[in-house]
Amino acid sequence: MILQALKEYYERKSMDPDGRIAPDRFEYKDIPFVIVIDEKGGFVQIEDTRYLDGKQLRSKSFLVPQAEKCTSGIQPNLLWDSAEYVFGLCVKEKSDAVRKKHDAFIARIQSLDLAEDIGVKAVCLFLSSGCHVDALEQSAHALEIKEKNPFMAFRLNNETDLVCQRKAVIKKVQSALLDGARGVCLISGETQTLARLQPAIKGVHDRNMIDRNLVSFNRDSFNSFGKTQGANAQISIKSAFKYTTALNYLLRRDSPQKMQIADATTVFWSERASDFEHDFSSLFNEPFKEDNPDNLVSKVKALFQAVDTGVLTRDNKTNCFYILGLSPNRARISVRFWQVATIAELSQHIVRHFRDLELIHAPHQKEYLSLWELLRATAAQEKSEHIVPRLGGEWMRTILSGQAYPEFLFQAVLRRIQAERAVTYPRAAILKACLNRKARFLNYKEEEITVSLDKENKNQGYKLGRLFAVLEKIQEEANPGINATIRDRYYSAGSCTPASVFPNIIRLKNHHLAKLEKGRVIYFERLLGAILSDLSEFPLRLNVHDQGRFAIGYYHQRQAFFTKIHEE
Amino acid sequence: MPNNYCLEISGELACFTRAEMKVERVSYDVITPSAARAIFEAILWKPPIQWQITCIEVLNPIRWTSVRRNEVGAVISSSSVKQAMNAGTGALGIYIEDKRQQRAGLLLREVRYRIYADLIFDQSKDTDSQYAKYTSMFERRAEKGQCFNRPYLGCREFSCAFRLVTDVTVEPVPIKETQSLGWMLYDMDYSNQKSPTPRFFNAQINDGIIAVPKWNSEEIRG
Repeated sequence: MILQALKEYYERKSMDPDGRIAPDRFEYKDIPFVIVIDEKGGFVQIEDTRYLDGKQLRSKSFLVPQAEKCTSGIQPNLLWDSAEYVFGLCVKEKSDAVRKKHDAFIARIQSLDLAEDIGVKAVCLFLSSGCHVDALEQSAHALEIKEKNPFMAFRLNNETDLVCQRKAVIKKVQSALLDGARGVCLISGETQTLARLQPAIKGVHDRNMIDRNLVSFNRDSFNSFGKTQGANAQISIKSAFKYTTALNYLLRRDSPQKMQIADATTVFWSERASDFEHDFSSLFNEPFKEDNPDNLVSKVKALFQAVDTGVLTRDNKTNCFYILGLSPNRARISVRFWQVATIAELSQHIVRHFRDLELIHAPHQKEYLSLWELLRATAAQEKSEHIVPRLGGEWMRTILSGQAYPEFLFQAVLRRIQAERAVTYPRAAILKACLNRKARFLNYKEEEITVSLDKENKNQGYKLGRLFAVLEKIQEEANPGINATIRDRYYSAGSCTPASVFPNIIRLKNHHLAKLEKGRVIYFERLLGAILSDLSEFPLRLNVHDQGRFAIGYYHQRQAFFTKIHEE
Repeated sequence: MPNNYCLEISGELACFTRAEMKVERVSYDVITPSAARAIFEAILWKPPIQWQITCIEVLNPIRWTSVRRNEVGAVISSSSVKQAMNAGTGALGIYIEDKRQQRAGLLLREVRYRIYADLIFDQSKDTDSQYAKYTSMFERRAEKGQCFNRPYLGCREFSCAFRLVTDVTVEPVPIKETQSLGWMLYDMDYSNQKSPTPRFFNAQINDGIIAVPKWNSEEIRG
């Protein structure tokens, strides 16, 4: 299904004249240096195509015949390749090996059998003239080329296109016969020539920026039924080209249809062209620095309106939206999640996700939090490298399918709260959303946790959290400017084993109350009375979910205190 | 007319691995006919009989989970085994710490299916018996829960529970899903023992029911 959907996306994009997707047997490649020659094969200059993008040097991207896949051995590309192949330069290898590479490169051009074409003829003349190495030495970039072995291509000085982009070359490349066994392709279902190796996917990275494969059988233990390499999964060369080109297109640099969620690189596309394709990333991605920081909020509000008023176009109800989460594993790519849903369903799930996270907060904090902010709230020291590895992918999957959030998300947040003894807005929002979604998904008859303080909530965890917040407030008011409140000393014990902590701090509050003025004392006593009314005794232990409610109750009560101050 | 039997199978996890994503396992959305056949064969199989899957019904919504498991990347080659056999001694073990491969998997969660299959009997392979012998053998074994090996859902580690279903009308209805599942693995063709080849069919789920074509029909490509 995944490969099939990618193939259909390629077919849709290739019919679109504006779509910058590579046609059959071609690919877009960054080529930093272009060798300019005249029609007689004489050297003109070496052009540097790089430009400054922010702080990095980026090369211009050209449409060239698809690269040959070969990790070891000699496999020259057609009319473009690294300096070793083009010039026979010894960069890392010995001169015989490089000699062979250079000869193979020339032989490949000659096998094109296009001697009449001006461009190809010029290239052949240039390479066989013997003075191409001297020509290289003259150029200003000689040192750089010799060190880095970059990709190079040819261009005639009176044309703008590269030699490999000439019409005659394109025609020859696309009509060349494919080499390989024939069989039924499992993507298209037709009998075609099968691929032995699949083209690489670029753009799914971790610490290593290498090309990886989605379909690969690179170890003996991965083979089945005695087959090797591509025979393990029959995919035709045409289909392999289509799905890899589509995936590479979605994963290209600065693609609006790609985003990184912790360790899962996610791409998304719709069956037919839609605006949702462009809006989706702004709903989950961290906004770019130059962009409007309120982008997320405005997009979410627009989505809410669309779903609430039912103003989703008829097309959105049938247009399928595909989301694919990939993550690297050595030289392979593993699929973390694959979600297929109509745009209408997906909008509802996303709206549900943001609604569940709604929580009362300070005025300066954002109304809707991005996924990154939420994930960072679960990490030690709020650093993104400390986010639990599978969390991003799993969470995304549950958001998109409308299921309950993963259990280990809840536990990760609770652990953070107890380690840092701080219930922040993102953490409380996650806890609330987890509990509400779980209750809804499993059809529990429990009360739902509200956005702001709920005085009617009888859950003992929630009440104890509120109680804790009130006691802390009393202490703070009695000792203004205090550095360590009961929160720093007693929060963890208070939320896990209330019976050991609460009797003590309730006794202490009397001393604090003695320092306050009469009006405040009455106010707090009344509040404590209301909270303690249904609590017959302090439980010995709170289970994990009640500990979450404790945190939320604490947060709600604190927010209620601050709102009062603002109103006053 | 061969007898048609129905089994309800359920399990916590399942992985009907896609042929192209075998390394970093991704499961098909539903059970493949070949996995369904394996479940019937786990209960009863003898050389004269063959199971032909006719229908698959999906009873639980399709849910996924993703796991990462430590596995081994090497294989003990048959030539080194032969060498050791001839020589009398040899070191054949693999040190798994050196050959670790971590493989991720996108598996199905909490699956429940009803699978229907025809019991096909080849008289020429067992001239002394009747069809009824094998049907009663299967019915007895399926009722009692007997099996030669524990039935599994795609991979051996995901064992499943099975139950013979006699009256479909009192059973839960399949889920309301209608979509095209693309080309799915039908089964492997073992007629060439040295090189089994896969066969595919275009799977379509209609209101939770997948009609599985017969082996010799045109819909099977391969």
